[in-house]
Formats: sequence, structure tokens, C-alpha cells
Amino acid sequence: MELWQESVNILVLGSIYVLIAVGLSMIYGILRVLHVAHAGIYTLGAFLSLSIAGVTGNFWIALTLSAIISGFFGALIYRYIYKFVLKEERIVPLIISVGLFITMQDLYRIIYGPYKYPFSISTAIPYIRVGSFYVSPLQMLILMITGVILVGLYFVLNKTRIGVGLKACANDLQMAEAVGINTKLTIALAFFIGSALAAVAGTLVGVYDNSVYPTMGSTVSYKAFVVVVLGGFGSLKGSVIAGYLLAAAEVLLVSWKGFFLPRDAIGFLVMIIFLIFLPNGLFGKKER
Amino acid sequence: MDYLMTLGIFASIYTILAISLNILTGYAGQVSLGHAALFGVGAYTSAALTVNLGFNYWAALPLSILITALVGALIGLSSLRAHSDFLVLITIGINFVVVALLKYTPFFGGPYGLLGIPRPSLFGEAMNTFEYFWYAVGWASFTILFVYWMSKKYIRTAFEAIKEDEEAAEAMTVSVPRFKIYAFAISAAFAGLAGNLWAHYMGVIFPGNFSFDTSIEIMTMIVLGGIGTIRGAVFGAVLLVFLPEYLRFVSDYRMLIYGLIIVFTMLFIPSGLLGDNSITWRWTRIFKKGDRVAKNNEN
Amino acid sequence: MKKFLAFSLILVLSLTLVFAGTYKIGFFAPLTGWAAADGSSALRGAELAVKYINDNGGVNGNNLKLIYYDDAMNTAQAVSIAFKLIQQDHVLIAVSGSYSSTTRAAAGIYQRLGIPMISAYAVLPQITKVGNLIFRVGTLATVEGRAGAYLAVKILGAKRIAVLNIDNDFGTSLTKGFIEEAKKLGAKIVYLTKYPIGETQFRTILGALKKSKPDVIYATAYYAEASHIVFQAKQLGIYVPIIGQEGYDSPKFIQLSEDGSYNGTLITTDLNRDSSKPIVQWFLKTYKEKYGISADMVSASAFDAVQVAAVGLKNGTTPDKIREGILSIKSLKTSVTDIEHYTKSREVFRPLTVQIVLAGRFNFFREITDPDVLNPER
Repeated sequence: MELWQESVNILVLGSIYVLIAVGLSMIYGILRVLHVAHAGIYTLGAFLSLSIAGVTGNFWIALTLSAIISGFFGALIYRYIYKFVLKEERIVPLIISVGLFITMQDLYRIIYGPYKYPFSISTAIPYIRVGSFYVSPLQMLILMITGVILVGLYFVLNKTRIGVGLKACANDLQMAEAVGINTKLTIALAFFIGSALAAVAGTLVGVYDNSVYPTMGSTVSYKAFVVVVLGGFGSLKGSVIAGYLLAAAEVLLVSWKGFFLPRDAIGFLVMIIFLIFLPNGLFGKKER
Repeated sequence: MDYLMTLGIFASIYTILAISLNILTGYAGQVSLGHAALFGVGAYTSAALTVNLGFNYWAALPLSILITALVGALIGLSSLRAHSDFLVLITIGINFVVVALLKYTPFFGGPYGLLGIPRPSLFGEAMNTFEYFWYAVGWASFTILFVYWMSKKYIRTAFEAIKEDEEAAEAMTVSVPRFKIYAFAISAAFAGLAGNLWAHYMGVIFPGNFSFDTSIEIMTMIVLGGIGTIRGAVFGAVLLVFLPEYLRFVSDYRMLIYGLIIVFTMLFIPSGLLGDNSITWRWTRIFKKGDRVAKNNEN
Repeated sequence: MKKFLAFSLILVLSLTLVFAGTYKIGFFAPLTGWAAADGSSALRGAELAVKYINDNGGVNGNNLKLIYYDDAMNTAQAVSIAFKLIQQDHVLIAVSGSYSSTTRAAAGIYQRLGIPMISAYAVLPQITKVGNLIFRVGTLATVEGRAGAYLAVKILGAKRIAVLNIDNDFGTSLTKGFIEEAKKLGAKIVYLTKYPIGETQFRTILGALKKSKPDVIYATAYYAEASHIVFQAKQLGIYVPIIGQEGYDSPKFIQLSEDGSYNGTLITTDLNRDSSKPIVQWFLKTYKEKYGISADMVSASAFDAVQVAAVGLKNGTTPDKIREGILSIKSLKTSVTDIEHYTKSREVFRPLTVQIVLAGRFNFFREITDPDVLNPER
């Protein structure tokens, strides 16, 4: 029974990692930008949902609107910032991204204040309780939303023209442009989808932890890279598996040994050992 | 006065850090986002030697540099396996693991940090802020001169070759693994020096001083100043130490403006303020040339 | 005669206007970054104290002025701020509204340059050991840990205790004080584990804790972690009392704990919200009116730090006079956290209050007055 309970913990934690990382992985796959400000959008999504839910009183409207607005915001970051520095050394967009993240975090603090906001929702969600095995309503919510999103994403990426365009761009940007794909729009779309997913992740974490605050993205800013890079260069399938693997490693090590190191350090330790044996990630092709 | 001196000391220490990261990232092309870990290893080694084991400062100084260089070389081993972004991630990971180990090891004071780290003494008396300022500036100048000297040597050519193309470098009979380890070790040695200077100025160190944020800060310094150049590293370090202090007058908007300055500088001057191809650096060149032209006309 | 009286009155008034200077108090706290919530609370508490004192005639006819800077939880900034406050702003005394690392780093500078410093709520025991000018307002963590043990064993009668230790200086000091005292009082520590600050997932360690069948859980935490601990404990069916400390003492703890899981939590703290002292009620009411949120322990400590500084300044403006003034405090009426007096190691002696969280608010439960437990010199 205990193992089952731990599996739920792993699935929930992993789902959150996956939601954050999948969007990042799409962006990374095409532009090779380490988009740290993704974590700023994650926080934006949580704050937007909180505000909209406060006004409308409906969680689902808040979640949808927040995802759409954050998505546009992400696309704007590409259109007005990253686009101009893609030809520079790869460290340049990274530093810009760090600067953006600092700015965004402080902007939230100025607007919302430094305190943690509670975020509870009153939507009826089913839960499971069998003996001592228990999946809480919020855990169900996270698992269900992640499931729907992953299936939807699989469909979009494999069965639609958008997906074909994204894949072409990820394979070779110049080639994609040459065969007549509107790469600028496609990349903006990748930013839109990725940012919308980040906003969903931020909202879900905000609800699950019952707290939304300006610096909630700081752990995410680096944690998501572990998942993206572990998964291999821009491989979405890899990111999904890596997200759940990282969660499993963290949860199982903690349950086996307690916190012999802080959670982040445990995650990174696993990653370092992993990368020494598999230096190209799970499904990575060797970098060109 | 001590206020400016203190900022001067921090600027000197960060200059050493920025230059040392520049050797690794700017010259040899190995992007590390875990440089603060080496900074921390230097600081903690020196602090533990003097506080816990009763070493004299002047004995702890070379030892802390040496040990940090060794740790750097060890980290460098990972660069032989992992490349580019995998290396970035490994260095980030090492940063977190090192900070965590410092926090969870009672010998290093755990969360309490190490306290009561002595100032070095000259002629039997502990240095005051003024003396320590010149001491730190001295080390920073030495670092600048050493790296300038090094950049005229074969080793710099080898680093550049690794940065451009590892396979081509091998073909040119540059031993890639050897020079990668060199780059890590030399870079770490200076980071260790910076750590030593930091620990013995502050007198107290905590694991949090050497977190991932500090690594990002050091990287921002060299990229903002102009990656691959000594002048850029120095300028970036001095700028980013003084900027947050001078922005105090905007009080609540300090970090916001700091972030925006980074974004817009990098957006409009992507090669860094004093980078080789940047507008700002070319301007200063024009003035120089202009002077020369004016002089020539006089003649 | 009338003319003379009027004249002298005008003279006295104008003289006070000319000579009534301002006493500058330096203040530093993290106002940006991850610790900005506590930093802002501290700043608000300190500003409110300055307002209170100035509205009541100032100190010896002098108005207080708070000069504050953001240290961003960075020891380097705390050190440069110390020099700035002392040498450029010429403050007479400084108050730290920051955490342990920054406060400890800055304390060395204040001691060296001879300016008294009061740490509002930083817990590191070594802060006051820096020198004879460094004071603390918050209760020493080891004392509070001991009080927690007294509560668990003597008042609640616990025999088997599980301990959760947050992995920073705050948690480690509390845990040390708690375990020593609990063992001395005859209880058994059946489970002890460390967890990282900022953690949100406690189900795994709480699962292991449940198996050890404790009577009481002593969980060192701040309100964010605490709200997860109490909620997840209830979810796992752990219904034994959870004892917390001043880190829980924020209205945010109640807001963030879901489904009323805060109910029944006991905390040892300095701030008794049900106190009949007029200053406490004035503080709670004015804070709420002025800032729109309820006061927490951090703001109360910063409020008191400025009050203590004012007592020092009343005795004189030289460091020695300030020091004497603070050491001569006898049950400070203007403090909201019941400051009785300072001990010779410059720690506060005060009765600790035990609050119970019920019906969405902190309520008075007990007061711990045993001098042996409370003595910071032990």
C-alpha cells in the first residue's frame, strides 16, 4: 500500500515537472535558448489565475484565460527580445533571460506585495480513498489536467500541420524556412504553447501548495532545465519521461534515506551521475 | 570612506572571479554556471584551515588556492564526458551539491556557517579596511597581469582552438583533455584566491553566500562587460558591484531597474559593453584614433 | 510679568524647535528577493514604532528618524550598508530586520565601529556573542526550544515525541534546545528527521513519522512549511498535537493551511494577541489599519527593537549610554512582546506565551514562566 501511495506522490510531482518542462523543451528544441524567464511566466500564470479567479469566481475560466494571456506574453518575449539576439553567442540570450526573470520577479513583488497568497478553489473534483490509499482532489486535478494536456499535445504535434511545422523547425531552422514554412510564426507558436503550459503549471502548483508568491518560480528556473536536458535536446518524449524519472528519484531517495541533502541537491546529484553515464541525455541525438 | 573601500574590496574580489571565469568560458569556451562553487571551496577551505585547524593565514592562502585548483581539475574531468549544455547543467548541479554539502557538514559549521575567520596580519597587526583594500586591489592587479601574460602564450592559442572546434584542435595536435583540465584548474585557482580574500574580509561565511545566484552574477559580469576580454571582465565586475549600491536612491524599484539594465544592455550591445565588436568599444577606439589623427595633423 | 512669561514661553518654544534634533536609527532588512515578505513586515513594524514614539513626544524631545536599506539577504550588502549607515548617515544605533547570516555579518562591523545594534528576530545564538554592543529582541532559539519541550512534556504530558528539523540555523538551534530539555524531562525522541527550507512535500517523511507512533510532533518550520505539515499530517490521518514556534506566528499560517488543518496547533511565541496591555492592542489595530494585513511576530519584534533602541537613546546618545539604558530596562511597558529585562549576555528575559490556533485565529493557551526554562544564560 505504501508503495502505491509513493507512486501517487511521484506521479503528481512528475506531472508538474513535465508541464513546466515540455513547453521549455519545445522552445529549447527550436532555438537552443536556455529560457530562464519561462519560470517568470509560470509565476505570471499563477498570479493571473489567482486574480481572475478572484474576480470571476470560476477556476476553469481563470485557468483558461491565464494560459492564453501568458501564452501571448511568451510570444511577445520572443517577438521583441529573443528574435534580435539569436545570431549572437548562446550565452547572450541566457543572460537576457536572467535579466528578464529578475525584472519579472520584482515586478510581481511591487504589484502584489511580497507575501504569499492562499489559492483555494471550490470546484468539485472526485477523489479516491481505498483503505489507507488516498488520492486527494487536488492530486486528481493535477493528474487529470496533465493527462488531458499530454494527449492533446501528442495529437497536435503528430497529427496537425502545426506539429509538422514545429518538428521541421526543431530539426533544421534554415531548411524549414527554405521549404516555405513560416518559421517566425511557428516559433512564436511554440512560445505561445510553451508559455500557456507554464501558466497552467504555475496555477496548479499555486492551488496544490495553496500559495502564490513572487519568487515561486526561482526553483523552477533551474529545475526545469534538469528535465529538459536530461530528456535530450528538445525531445518532448524524453522530457516527459525525464520529468517522471526525476520525481521518482527524488521521492524514492527521500523515502529511503530521508533528506540526507536538500531536495534540489538530491535531484542534481541524480542528474550528474546520470549524465556521466549517458552524456547525451535519454533520447538526445549528438549535438550538431 | 570604509563604505567605498568595502565596495572596492568586493569589486576586486569579483574582478578576480570574473577574470577566472573568463579563462574558462571566454577563452576555452567551457560555459560554467557553477563558478560560485569554486569560490565557496576556496573560502571554506581557508576558513576551515584557520578557524578549525589553527593554521596561519599565510599558510592557508596557498593551500586554499591549491585545493580549489584540484577540485576545479576534478570538475574539469566531467567536461571530458559532457559537452555544451550538458556541461552547463553539470556545473549548475555541482553548485547545488557543493552548497548542500557545506550546509549539511558539521565540520564546516552546517547552517551556522564558519565564524571568526581572522584577518591576515601585517607586522603583527590585523589589517584594517584600508589596508585590506590595497591588499585585494593588489591581488586583482596580479590576476589581471598574470592572465594578460598568459594570453600571449601558447596556452591561450590552445584554449581558443578548443573553443572553436575540438576535433580540429586535436588535429592540430592540441591535447583537448589536457588543456580542458588546465582551463578548469587555472580558473579554479583564481576562484579559490577570490574565496580566500572574501572569507578573510567578511570574517563570517555561510553556505548561502556561494549559491547558484552568485554563479549567475559572475557570468552576467563577463557577458555584460564583453566575453573573452580581460577589460570586459574587469569592467563588468566593477559595474555590477557598484550598480546595485548606486541604485539605492530608487529604493523600491532597485532590482527592477537592475534587471532592466541587464536586459537592454544585452539587447542593444550583445557583444558586451567593452566586447570586441560592440558599438561602445568601437567608440572608444574612434576617440583614440581621432587623437592620433589630430596629432598627425599637428605634425 | 505677563510679558515676561510670554517672552520666556516663546524663548523656550523656539529653543526646543532649534535644539530638538532628530535621532537617526539605521535599519536593514531584505526588501527584495525570496525573504522580502519578512523584511517588509519588519520594516513596517519598525516604522510603526517610530510613529508611535514621535506621536508621543519623541525621545527627550527629539524625533526619531528611520533610515533603511534593502540588504536583499546578501551578507556583502549587509556589510556595506553597515558602513553606509554608520559613516554616511551617522546613525546612533542600528536595528536589524534581517535573518541570521546578514545580521551576524553586519554585527561585526557595528561592534568594531562602536555603534550599538539590535537584532529584531534573527535567531543565530552567536549574534550577541559578537560583542557588548549587540542586543537581541527575539527569544534565543535554544530557550524557545526548551519552552517547547516544557509544553510537550510538562503541560501536554507527552512521552514519545517526533521531531521535524528545518535545515537552517533557526531549526537546528530550536531542535537542539528542544531535544536536550525533552530528554531531561524524561520524554523519548522516537523520530527525528531534517528537511530542507522551502519544502512543500512532507507526505513521505510524515508517513515514516506516523509509524513511530508519537504522542506529540515538534515541527520547527516557518509558516509556509508549517501550513503544508499540518495539512498533510491531517491528510495522512495523524491527529496528535503539533507544536510549532514563532515561525508559525503569522496570519498567513492560518490562510495557507487548507481545510482548517491549523486547528489545534500549539505554538510558543513572544506575541500574545489576547494580551490586555494597551500597547499590544494599539499595535495590532494600527498595523491592520495602516497596512491592510494583520501583524505577525516579525513585525512585532521589529517594533520592539525600535522601542528598545528608544529606551537606550533616552539615557544618552553615546554608545555607552545607549548600552546602559538598554541594560537597565525593567518590564518595558511600550513593548508588545513582554520584554522583562536584558541579561548580561544581552538576551531578553521574557515569559513565553503558548498560543493555540483555533477558529482561524491565535488564542492564548498558557504562559510559560518557569525561570529555569526561560533563562538565556543557562
